[in-house]
Amino acid sequence: MQVKVAIGTIALMMTMVIFGYSALREPARLESFTNAELGRSIETGASLFAGNCSNCHGINGKAEECYDLASGEQIGCQGLPLNYQQLLCGDNTERMVAMNWQGSKEAFIQSTISSGRPGTVMPTWSEEFGGPMRPDQIRNLANFVLNWETDELCSGPVITFEWPETVEDFVAQFPDGDAANGKALFVTYGCSGCHGVPDEGVAPAVGPDLSVIAETGATRVEGQTAEQYVYHSVLYPSDFIAPDCPTGPCSGPPSAMPANFPLRMAPNPQDLRDIMAYLFGS
Amino acid sequence: MATFIDQVKEMGVKQAVIAKSDEAVERLTAGMNIGDIRAALRGDEPRRPNPRLRPHADGFWLHIRPSFYHNEITRVYPTFHLGWLSTFMFVWETITGIFLMIFYTPSPLIAYSNMWNILSNVPLGQLMRNMHRLGAEVMVLVVALHMLRTFVTGSYKKPRQFTWVTGMLLLVLTLLLSFSGYLLPWDQLSYWALTVFLSGAESAPAPPIVNQNILLILQGGPSLGAGGLLRWYLLHVLLMPLLLGIFFFVHYYKVVLHGFSLPPGREEIGEDTAKRVPKNERTYFIPDILTSEVMWVSLLSLLLVAGSLWFWDAPLEHHADPVVTPLHVVAPWYLSWSQGWLKLAPKTIVIGFIPALMVAFIVMPYFEVGKSRRYADRRVGLSVAMLFIAFMMVSNWMGTPRFRVQSSPDMEVATKLLPQEGVSPILGIPPDYLWEGEYLPGQVIDGNPHLTYGLEVFAEEMAKHSCTNYPGTTIGSITLDNCEEGDHRMPDPYATLTITPVQQNLMRITIGIEALDPENTDEYLYSLDWVGYRHADSNYEEECTFINKSC
Repeated sequence: MQVKVAIGTIALMMTMVIFGYSALREPARLESFTNAELGRSIETGASLFAGNCSNCHGINGKAEECYDLASGEQIGCQGLPLNYQQLLCGDNTERMVAMNWQGSKEAFIQSTISSGRPGTVMPTWSEEFGGPMRPDQIRNLANFVLNWETDELCSGPVITFEWPETVEDFVAQFPDGDAANGKALFVTYGCSGCHGVPDEGVAPAVGPDLSVIAETGATRVEGQTAEQYVYHSVLYPSDFIAPDCPTGPCSGPPSAMPANFPLRMAPNPQDLRDIMAYLFGS
Repeated sequence: MATFIDQVKEMGVKQAVIAKSDEAVERLTAGMNIGDIRAALRGDEPRRPNPRLRPHADGFWLHIRPSFYHNEITRVYPTFHLGWLSTFMFVWETITGIFLMIFYTPSPLIAYSNMWNILSNVPLGQLMRNMHRLGAEVMVLVVALHMLRTFVTGSYKKPRQFTWVTGMLLLVLTLLLSFSGYLLPWDQLSYWALTVFLSGAESAPAPPIVNQNILLILQGGPSLGAGGLLRWYLLHVLLMPLLLGIFFFVHYYKVVLHGFSLPPGREEIGEDTAKRVPKNERTYFIPDILTSEVMWVSLLSLLLVAGSLWFWDAPLEHHADPVVTPLHVVAPWYLSWSQGWLKLAPKTIVIGFIPALMVAFIVMPYFEVGKSRRYADRRVGLSVAMLFIAFMMVSNWMGTPRFRVQSSPDMEVATKLLPQEGVSPILGIPPDYLWEGEYLPGQVIDGNPHLTYGLEVFAEEMAKHSCTNYPGTTIGSITLDNCEEGDHRMPDPYATLTITPVQQNLMRITIGIEALDPENTDEYLYSLDWVGYRHADSNYEEECTFINKSC
C-alpha cells in the first residue's frame, strides 16, 4: 500500500508540475493563437475574395486586372481599388472622411461589404441583408482587405493635384493625349467595366454609352463643350446625371460613378488627357 | 462538553488546538481522527471498535461503497479497475466541461469564435479543451473495455443481468454524450459529422412521417442551424449527463447489492459467493482500496494532462459551412464501424440494424443462461464475442479514410497536399521556408529541408495516383507503374507547386496538375489548379507536432 501511496503522490505532483509549466508558457501561447486566428481568417478571406470580389476589385485589389469568374476572360474592373492608400492608411482614412463615417476602420469595411453601396454595382453581401455571406465570412473578408495596409503602401506621400476649372486650362498644361495608351487606361481605371469599350462595340453594362460622346456631350449642359462636359464629369460625376444609362435614366445624384478620380489620377494627370484622346478619337 | 476556552485553560493552547483539529477531522471523515488516518496509512491494525468502518456507516460519500472487498478482486485482474476509471472519466469530463461551458454560447453566430476565444484568450483554455476532448475519447474506450471485461468474465450472468442492462444503457449514453459534444464547436468537422448522423436518422426503417419528424426534432428546423445547435447543446450538458448520472447510481447500486463477482475459476459452478467473504480473505476499503483507487486516478490524470499538452490536440476546422461539403467526411473512430457497415448494406438496413443490435445486447443475459462462468465452459460464447470484435474492427477499418470512395486522382493528390481542413506536409512548412517560386514534385531545394520534404510527399502522392505509357518515366526519384487498360490513374501527368505572395505575410500555394488524354492529345484528361493560402502566423507547423495531426 505504501508503494501505491508513493506512486499516486508522485503522479499527482507531476500532474501539478505539468499544469504549472503549462501556465507559465500561457502568455506566449495565447499571443500565438491570437495571431493564428487572424492569420487563418485572412487565409479564408483571401479565398473568398478570389471567388467573389476579384472580378470587380481586381485580383490584387488595385481594380486594374479583373477576370470574369466564370469564363476567366479579362474584363474591365467595375469596383474601386481596395489595396489603396486612401482607403486603408491611418485610423481615420480619407475614404472614411469622404463617406462621413464615424466608426472604426474595421467597422467601415465590414459595413460596406455587408450592406453594399446603394446606387453602385456593389451589392449587399451579408445574408442579413439578403446577400450570400455569413457574418464570419464578412469578418474574414474585412481582415483580408485590412491586411493590404502596409508601411510601403502608407509611407508614400499623398499626391494631390490642383485640377483646373476648365478643360482648356488642363489641356494647356499637358502634352497631347495618346489614344492607344488612353484605351489601355480606360480598362485599368475600370471605366470599361461600366461604360463598355466604345470603339469595339462592347456595350456598356452600367453607365452611359461613350461611343458618341463627342456629339452628345455637347448637348448635355448648356454652355459646355463635349470636352468640358467629359472632363468635368470624370472629376465630379454627381454634378450632372446623364439621361441615357442602359437601363433608363442614370441614377443619382450621387452618381454610381466613383467620385475619387481626382485623387486616383493625381499622380498622373496625363492619364485623363490620354483617356479623353481615346474617347474623342484624336 | 468542554468549550474551547475550557480546553485551553486545561491543556494549554497547543494541546487544545490539536484536540480541536482532531475533532474536526473526525467529523469530516465521519469517524476517523488524525491518529486513525495516520495508522491506516502506516498499515497498522485498526483499533477496536474499528474506526475505518464508520465512514461507510455514517458518511455520505462512502455509504454506497462496500467496506471490504474479496482479496481476489483487488488485483488488476479481473476488473482492470475499468468501472472505477469510467466513473472517474465522467467526473473528469464534468469538471473540464463546466470550465468550457463558462466560455461557450450555443449559437451559430458566435460558437465558433468562442472556440477561438478559448484558444487565444482563456488561460489554460487549449489545455482544458484538449483534456475534455481527449477525455471523451478515453471515456468511450474505457467504458467499452469495461463492457468487454464484464462479458469475458461472465459477470453478466444471474443475478447480475440487470446490472448488465444498465451498463449497456451507460455505454450508449457515453457514445451519445461524446457524439453530441461533437457539434458544439460549429466547425466543418462538427457540422458534417452531425449531418451524416442525421441523414442516417432520416433513413431509418420507419414510415417517412416518423423519420421526417424525428429529423425535424433532432435538427431543430428544416435544416441544421441555430435551433439544432441549441438542442444538441442541451442534450450534451443537461439531459445526457443527467440520464448518465441516474443510470450510474442504479448500476453501482446493483453492483454493490450483488457484490463484485469473483474470478470465474474461484467458485463452484452455479455458485455466487461474492456476498460471503470469509474474514481472512477480506481487503478493507480503508485504506487499501481507497489508496489503490486514488493511485489509478492520479496515474490516469497524469497521462491525460501530459497527453493533452504534448501529444494530442483537439481539432478545430473552419467555420461550419452548409454550402461547402468537405471532400471526405469521416465519423469519429468510435462510430467508424457504422460508416464501414454502410459499405456492406443499404442505409435503411444498417440504420435499422443498430438499434436491433443494441436491444440484442441488452437482453442477452436473459437468454444466455448457461450456469458456468468458467472460460472452458463458454467456448461458443467467447468465440462469438471474438468474432464480433473482429467484425467490429474490420468494420471500423472499412469506415476509415483509407477505405473511402476515391474522387478523381488529381483531386486526391491536391487535397492530400492542400487539404480543405487540417494540416499537411505543405501547410506545415514554416513560413520562412515558403520560398516564392514554381517547383516540381520531388525537386530538392538546397537549404530548404521543409520544402524539399513537402515536394517529396508531392512526388509520392503523384506516383501513387499516376501511371505511364512510356516505361521508365519517373516523378522525382520514383518510377511510375505502366498504364493498364481501364486504368483510373493519371497517365503521364505534369504537376507543379507554385508559391506566390499575395499580401504581406500571405502566400498563395497552387497545385497545378495536367494530364493529356493519350487517345486524343488535344484534350486534357485531368486539369486542375488547386489553390490554398498560408498566412505566416497561422501556425500550422506547431499543429503538426501533435501525433494525431501528422504532416
